[in-house]
Amino acid sequence: MRLLLVEDAEGLGEVIRDQITDEGHAVDWVNNLSHADASLQITQYDLILLDLMLPDGNGIDLLKKIRRAGETTPVIILTARDQLSDRIAGLNAGADDYLVKPFDLSELSARIAAVSRRYSGNPNPIIKVGTLDVDLNKHSISREGVAINLTAREWALLEAFIQHPGNVLSKLQLEDHLYAFGAEIESNTIEVYVSRLRKKLDKGQLETVRGLGYRMRSS
Amino acid sequence: MRSTQVKAPKSLQKTLGIGLTVGVTLLWLLALLSTVYVSQNKLNTLFDSALAETAQRIMPLAVVEITNREEPGQLQQIMSFETHDEPLVYLVRDASGAILLKSHNADPLMFNKTLLKGFSSSENYRFYGAWAVQNTLHIEVAEPLTQRRKAIFAMAASLLWPLLLLIPLCFIGTWAFVRYSLRHVLVYRKAIESRGSGDLSPIETKDLPTELHTIATSVNDLLERLRRALESERSFTANSAHELRTPIATALAQMQRLQHGVSDRPLKEKMQKVETTIRGLSALSEKLMQLAKAEGGGLLATQQNDLTGLLQLIVDDSQRSAPTESIRLTLPPSEFKSAINPDAFAILVRNLIDNAIKHGDSDQPIEVSFSANGILNIVNAARVIPADTLARLQHRFVRSETKAQGLGLGLAIADAIVTGVGATMTFNSPATGRNDGFEVSVDFSIIGSNAQNRDNHTNQAS
Repeated sequence: MRLLLVEDAEGLGEVIRDQITDEGHAVDWVNNLSHADASLQITQYDLILLDLMLPDGNGIDLLKKIRRAGETTPVIILTARDQLSDRIAGLNAGADDYLVKPFDLSELSARIAAVSRRYSGNPNPIIKVGTLDVDLNKHSISREGVAINLTAREWALLEAFIQHPGNVLSKLQLEDHLYAFGAEIESNTIEVYVSRLRKKLDKGQLETVRGLGYRMRSS
Repeated sequence: MRSTQVKAPKSLQKTLGIGLTVGVTLLWLLALLSTVYVSQNKLNTLFDSALAETAQRIMPLAVVEITNREEPGQLQQIMSFETHDEPLVYLVRDASGAILLKSHNADPLMFNKTLLKGFSSSENYRFYGAWAVQNTLHIEVAEPLTQRRKAIFAMAASLLWPLLLLIPLCFIGTWAFVRYSLRHVLVYRKAIESRGSGDLSPIETKDLPTELHTIATSVNDLLERLRRALESERSFTANSAHELRTPIATALAQMQRLQHGVSDRPLKEKMQKVETTIRGLSALSEKLMQLAKAEGGGLLATQQNDLTGLLQLIVDDSQRSAPTESIRLTLPPSEFKSAINPDAFAILVRNLIDNAIKHGDSDQPIEVSFSANGILNIVNAARVIPADTLARLQHRFVRSETKAQGLGLGLAIADAIVTGVGATMTFNSPATGRNDGFEVSVDFSIIGSNAQNRDNHTNQAS
């Protein structure tokens, strides 16, 4: 997934970015509302992690703005404001979840996974892909009880296909999904990862749609 | 030595009641004395006039009597026709003082020895003397003063008797009138009494007497200043919470990230200890800030909120934060509106649920229920808590004897909120209908009815 992290606390933003990157997601980290707005203008994100009290305003205002524009990207609010009224205000403004600081990184990962699953239309964290059993919570994949190891990038790629079942994803979309701004991407990086993932999935599970991109069969 | 005895404040109603009664009584007595004095003077004039007239009527008769005698210098006493008590007596004497004629019961000793003309008085008699026949005969008529005194006393008594009835009537009337006049002041007093850290709204002043308007306006100004000061304090607390939470969150996240890359067991254990310490610091700072909020006021909202909906949200949140715990929630079919601030309600419920999670048996569900009449019950399985410990649980840093390491602040925060909003909280162990367990009950019905009354009052006013 590609996430936008809006957090002005440098130390915390850095740790959250590293944690999410390690889980195979691409993260663009900005520390104020104007940069967040600019990022949203040029990139389609899968999820936004939004702090509320930012140097140039309140995150709630940005959330209301993107919801008014018809944007449905899921938003998780990360804030130090723990009052119930703040939570209600956040959820009423269109947030999908609300996490109060300090929080466990594992809880943040679980919330990200739960919200993205909810948006993909399948809230069940354990799904079947061909003969494979995929646990989206534990980031594990197995065939007939035998675990298959995936790297973080391979997992992120698989997750992108699971989130868009039956859809053709272009190379550019997959790059956006896997890499943040400024990341150095080799021209054949996506082909390499698709090739590696194919070897671990069932034969024919991940097909190439010539001239358009890649598609994962839903069964 | 300085006296430490505090003088009880005086009741305005009592002071006015007694003061006005004493004042009316004194005025009445003054009027009575004036009346008696004037009446006495008038009576004396009348009696004197009658006395003089009597002397002047008797004198010609006495002169004829005396001059017609065969022996002019002989004393003659007038005999009475029948026995009777005669208050008026007289004595006719010649110029040398020899008694020539006297009334039938006249005692010469009680008359003036000197032959006086006009009015004179002794201790018990009033006299009138007159000369006749070229100052050769002198008549003196005497009247006992008891007649006059009796008349005056009778009149004074007739004026004094109503006063005995007037004093209690005046006191009761004054008391009732003062009470009626002070009815708005008593309402105002109750309104001031009902104000506290949870409710600092201005007090209605339109029904107050003019004399108290300035005081009431000053009180409202004071309440407004107090409300602003408390708001500043709360704002400071909220900002402090934010400023403190973010570095704690950073430290916790950094520590968790560091542990990922460490395989050395002793080092990892040390890191886990640091992480536990950071969590403890986070929990303590959060509780202290909650306690500051709970004791800082602002616990009542300007509008009513449905507590059942809020409770559902809070329990869902608690369940998500502690997924291993089982929380059973029972809600009534209808809404229950209350004036408690939603944030204060959330802090209260979270602390009670945290307490149940921390001190309850982990394999038993926590039962949270809210009744239609506004009573919140939270029950967790636990050993029976001794009654003396139960009575002290809401005090700060008091813990029951459980293995769980609580801060001893959760129930103190809950107690501060419950007290601040005017609700009641009771602890039971064993829980109602069980042989064990711990039960907390919070009754929000009082706040509900108060708020409803306030709303009705506002609607009537508008």
